[in-house]
Amino acid sequence: MNAIADRFASQNVGSIFLYTHEAHPGENYPHLASMERKFQHARDLREKLGVTRPILVDALDGACHRAYGSMPNMTWIFAKSGVPVYKSDWTDHHSVSNAVEYFLGVATRRRAGERLAPFRVERLDFKNKDMDAFYKGLERNGPKAIREYRAAFG
Amino acid sequence: MGDPELLASYNYDEFIPEKFMRWLNFTASPLLGEPSPDFPLWDLDGRATSLSATWSRYTYLIVEFGSFT
Repeated sequence: MNAIADRFASQNVGSIFLYTHEAHPGENYPHLASMERKFQHARDLREKLGVTRPILVDALDGACHRAYGSMPNMTWIFAKSGVPVYKSDWTDHHSVSNAVEYFLGVATRRRAGERLAPFRVERLDFKNKDMDAFYKGLERNGPKAIREYRAAFG
Repeated sequence: MGDPELLASYNYDEFIPEKFMRWLNFTASPLLGEPSPDFPLWDLDGRATSLSATWSRYTYLIVEFGSFT
């Protein structure tokens, strides 16, 4: 996702990471009980996990996250007016890149004189399922996170 | 932001279905193409901004939601 941000920045496409709540709290990254702790976890996301996009932090009660569906790693794309044009219940950079290219193409087509009207479409996209990487992530959080994930999903 | 019960349940302390499933509500999220709600947000230095202040700066804004864990 960092690469997508860099790739489209020159076309005035912004990209942010919105910090929500701990999906898999563990000994090293426990559940959030204060904004101070939330800011610290968000800074670690930048410094330890290499998120180079601007990180913005939601309220401690997750008001923004909850209003948009509370999925742990979803992606939305908004037009300048604030109207959402894409929403995905999981983040996949192929899917996001494909969508941005489509929307930028709409502007190009309009400039070429096409008359376009919006419509809604549903599509089933596909993400990488790398369980080794996922478990390495849980290890960073602490053994509790691994135990609870295994108990929930086997 | 002061409801202690909401703060505790949203920031659940255990990844168990009884605590996390209730929040997964994507099917009821805002519709594409319709005006969507705005919320206050903060940068890593604690400066206040908002979702609308951010989306209004760009032709399109990609927002990835997530956390360290």
